[in-house]
Amino acid sequence: MKRIEGPEKVTGRAHYACDVRLPGQLYARVLRSPLPHARITRIDAARAERLAGVHAVLSSANAPDISWYEESRLFDRTLRFIGDELAAVAGESEEIAEDALRLIEVDYEALPCAVGLEDGVRGKPQLQRRGDIDNGLREAEVVVDAVYTTQTALHNALEPHGCTAHWEDDSLVLHESTQGIFAVRDEVAEKLGMPKERVRVITQHMGGGFGAKQIAWKHSVIAALLAKRAGRPVQLMLEREAENLAVGNRNATRQRVRLGAKRDGTLCAIDVHILVQSGAYLVGGEDSDVIGAYQTLYRCPHLRAEQVGVRTNTGPAVAFRAPGHAEAIFALESAMDELSRALAMDPIELRLRNYATEDQTKGKPYTSVDSLRRCYGQVKAAFDWPERRMGQGSKKRGIGFAAHDWAGGGGWPPAEARVEVADGAARVVTATQDIGTGTGTALCQIAADELGLPAERVSIVLGDTREGLYSPTSAGSATLATLGPAVRMAAAKAKKSGRGKGSRVKNPKDKSIRTCGAQCVEVEVDTETGEVRVLRVAAAHDCGRVINPVLVESQVIGGITQGLGYALSEERMVDACGLVLNASLEEYKVQTAADGPQLVNATQSMPDWEANATGAKGIGEPPLIPTAAAVANAIFDAIGVRVRDLPCKRERLIG
Amino acid sequence: MRAFAYSRPASLDEALALLGASARPLAGGTDLLTLMKADLLAPERLVAIAPLLPSGIARDAEGVTIGAATTLADIERDPTLAQRFTALGQAAGVAATPQLRNMATLGGNLLQRPRCWYFRNRLAQCWLKGGTACHAREGENRQHALFGGSGCVAVHPSDLAPALLAFGASARVRGAHGERIVPLEEFFSLPTGERRSETRLRDGELVLQVSMPSYPEETRSLYLKEMDRRAFAFALASVAAVVRVSARQRIGHVRLVLGGVAPIPWRAHGAERVLLGEEADERLIEAAADAAAEGAVPLKGNAFKLPLLKALARRALRSLLL
Amino acid sequence: MSVPLESVTLRVNGAERAVRVEPRRTLLDALRLDLGLTGAKKACDMGNCGACTVLLDGRAVYACLLLAIDCAGREIATVEGLHDDPLQRAFIEADAFQCGFCTPGQIMSLKALFSRTPAPSDEEIVRAVSGNLCRCGAYRNIVRAARIAAGRR
Ligand SMILES: Cc1cc2nc3c(=O)[nH]c(=O)nc-3n(C[C@H](O)[C@H](O)[C@H](O)COP(=O)(O)OP(=O)(O)OC[C@H]3O[C@@H](n4cnc5c(N)ncnc54)[C@H](O)[C@@H]3O)c2cc1C
Ligand code: SF4
Ligand code: FES
Ligand code: FES
Repeated sequence: MKRIEGPEKVTGRAHYACDVRLPGQLYARVLRSPLPHARITRIDAARAERLAGVHAVLSSANAPDISWYEESRLFDRTLRFIGDELAAVAGESEEIAEDALRLIEVDYEALPCAVGLEDGVRGKPQLQRRGDIDNGLREAEVVVDAVYTTQTALHNALEPHGCTAHWEDDSLVLHESTQGIFAVRDEVAEKLGMPKERVRVITQHMGGGFGAKQIAWKHSVIAALLAKRAGRPVQLMLEREAENLAVGNRNATRQRVRLGAKRDGTLCAIDVHILVQSGAYLVGGEDSDVIGAYQTLYRCPHLRAEQVGVRTNTGPAVAFRAPGHAEAIFALESAMDELSRALAMDPIELRLRNYATEDQTKGKPYTSVDSLRRCYGQVKAAFDWPERRMGQGSKKRGIGFAAHDWAGGGGWPPAEARVEVADGAARVVTATQDIGTGTGTALCQIAADELGLPAERVSIVLGDTREGLYSPTSAGSATLATLGPAVRMAAAKAKKSGRGKGSRVKNPKDKSIRTCGAQCVEVEVDTETGEVRVLRVAAAHDCGRVINPVLVESQVIGGITQGLGYALSEERMVDACGLVLNASLEEYKVQTAADGPQLVNATQSMPDWEANATGAKGIGEPPLIPTAAAVANAIFDAIGVRVRDLPCKRERLIG
Repeated sequence: MRAFAYSRPASLDEALALLGASARPLAGGTDLLTLMKADLLAPERLVAIAPLLPSGIARDAEGVTIGAATTLADIERDPTLAQRFTALGQAAGVAATPQLRNMATLGGNLLQRPRCWYFRNRLAQCWLKGGTACHAREGENRQHALFGGSGCVAVHPSDLAPALLAFGASARVRGAHGERIVPLEEFFSLPTGERRSETRLRDGELVLQVSMPSYPEETRSLYLKEMDRRAFAFALASVAAVVRVSARQRIGHVRLVLGGVAPIPWRAHGAERVLLGEEADERLIEAAADAAAEGAVPLKGNAFKLPLLKALARRALRSLLL
Repeated sequence: MSVPLESVTLRVNGAERAVRVEPRRTLLDALRLDLGLTGAKKACDMGNCGACTVLLDGRAVYACLLLAIDCAGREIATVEGLHDDPLQRAFIEADAFQCGFCTPGQIMSLKALFSRTPAPSDEEIVRAVSGNLCRCGAYRNIVRAARIAAGRR
């Protein structure tokens, strides 16, 4: 089945937050800190306020005192990174708002700053242990001991963060580009000291989030306050530069990994020490659980995993498609590849020897015990592993493999849905949001299946908190597995009585749910120019029952494409003074259509009926996770250079 | 963008009378407007010159003349250029994106400013923008220059400029006081303390057209470009090569110009000397590639450009000569 | 510096539309704000992404790097001017988008290609959209959609 919102998206009729046009609407811009760490000693916005066409100006001088980011405020007198919010203006046009920003006078007292991961202020370590690591390492016959680093990556969803805010009497309506309309509603209501019922958040379409839009950011409250002050609707969309400075990034990491194994490949010790760059603030929702993947992917009796957050004067980190896992799996799966080389063992064979059938953090078996093994088989067959073709001249070819798991895809309560049937047609009512993954389409299919109706006869309502039916934030690849069962239950009731409400029941107590998968990559490395071309990627992922193969495939190719950018070219560059040098889509290099390799999606439907009543699990984040490691492993196979620092830029391969 | 006035004069003379330090010519706008949006430039007036400038590609016995308002897309698709000035057509075809090539003009392409990330950031008041220090020299400089770095170590971003230089092109330039012909080798000039710019064009002057002399039919040329991704990127390094092999298998003419490695398109005189008058073989090409890299002063982050450059030079020469 | 508004007549999707704008207003803002045509998107405003792609006299351009006033009298085509175009149908069929934010731009770039080259090769297709970023990574299906529109499956 095709995406239900397709016709709107190909005609330009799909309206995003930035497309809202209300009578009298104003446009807002935010003034941001030019210094990485400073105190404001004077701020004077009088000239900005007097500019013709300006309707409201906010700064620490006149804004309500709203606490934000732990100890900080909405407009704090202390600025902690270049891009920190300092003042805002609403005017008749974006141009006028920008003119006004230039008229705001600010004096600063510069404060000392720390920019790099190694230089920042370290937080309290988070430690996980299992067995006795010293014993494990003593038992080991082969040890891999290496340091891996991963870069700060920028989400760069094509639609920037932003919203259009307007007041209807004392109620606030926000058209927001968000992954979580309830998260925004609750947070904005709290910050403004309003009851939740008086805030309505609407997201019909949104132009990508990848995690960075799973929390409420300051701009929503700023827009609401400006709109209140001006008595007119206010649209506040971030510019690309601000987008790349202030509203999240994938945290950089430094990971020291020690893997100990027996000669036959059996792992006996995993020991990791990890630094994670949080940036200037803990914004909530970052959930970068880097040590998580180390604890579960392989069976291993002895483990010590330590993670330390580091504060720096750079933009705050926030969840980015498989936060923590993407970083960890790069290091773990590179180390596993190093181990397989040390043991002269096929990398897939090594993984099979250490296959985990239970969740070692909980001591519970997985619902889909065999799925990862099946993914190995599927991807191996689709790729023809270990088949590789010959390169020519300076062009060397190589193949690489990497696996992953992900704890999020199983979903969890709470979530609610309603289904109404009349005249051979049905309507699914939810208050989830479709962030481009096709959630709405898949939910219609679930309802249609249950009702025995053709899917075209089912429509869906979503993206409006006014419906009151709670839906969680679209995150963790959990949306379908969370909401799908509620929709199915509602549909089952509606089938009998014409109308039914469903809610998400609990997950099984005695089992653990995971999603997982594996990818094979073939690269060609030019040993003279350092150019890396990815020729082929094959992927097999366990997302339970495939409800819509078209949508699953799009998530797989999209995730791999982002993963290739992470592997090869994406990296936020910050100079010693905290200046972000590539906060643009020109300098920050995401993949283009011309970079695309051949992509083979070998994902098969593997219904996980123990997980939930739809048998389906998430696929949003996982396809990105193993790509970088598989690329780095393929590069090693091609030219014998082990890239332990992402991205695999050419200077790491030649010169 | 700050506010500005806009004029659409009826003639070139009218346009020239309007131009000056605070009134800038607007051609395709693809560089000018980005500089203004980033608040690096704030002219009080823009003067629309594209409709007034010569446009199109004309060939006669003397060579080829291209109007300054000709778009990169037109240069990319021109059959004459593809055949006789291959490197130029190729350079236009790998520059920027289809959309930008439809908008960008030849004149603007030669006059675009560097992409150095400090230069493009309004928070960094660097030497080229009139400040006292170059931030890139000791800072982040993986994209920066191997050659010609004195005050500024940015690289010239144009793909067309190296190709045009390799064909010995000159620009016809007009100011309020008349016209002059400037060979591109002189037009581009390392910025100095007094002139913080990559060209010798004066305020208020316009480039009208660019001409290349005609070459014997057996002349061959090639443009190679390396980028951080396979499209939509400026050159990390590029090479434009023009050669002619004479009857006795000797290299009778050669020009090798490097892009992306100096503040201006950089002629590899050393490599040309190695090649001229010799018979081409692997060993000679290797020696020429080494000579192309001679005199390079790598910075902390850009040493990888050296092997890259040599590889490009080697490949271009191999493909043209062997 | 304050500059008076200028009257500009734009020919958009075959119709004359008069707007009063400052000289600094880009074509993109004029379309999106003054004319309410929000199909072309503003994602970077710097010529770095392609979300704002429209056709000017039949050629694909970035509307964010053009001044509206500079486009007076020229033929502008936006996604709103397409009606049941084979490219639109093919995009749905091939699932050539996820969030859809880049989609109008992708379609307009291909529209320009197809008007010159009705049956483009894969290479021509990739080249035509190489100036249109898709952060959702739908490239493979965008190429597939164009292939379908070109009559190849
Ligand atoms: C995202 C992006 C990627 C790019 N990638 C590449 C690339 O890979 N390779 C490459 O070569 N270029 C690249 N470019 C640069 C692009 O080619 C130039 O911006 C373009 O050629 C400039 O031409 P224009 O007509 O738009 O000039 P404008 O922006 O109109 O003008 C540029 C400057 O020249 C002046 N000017 C223009 N015409 C004349 C004239 N005839 N006489 C005197 N002064 C004049 C203007 O006043 C201005 O100062 C890229 C640009 C962007 C935005
Ligand atoms: S390289 Fe040139 S443009 Fe860049 S910082 Fe140095 S002086 Fe400025
Ligand atoms: S918005 Fe115009 S290219 Fe990005
Ligand atoms: S579909 Fe989301 S950016 Fe292309």
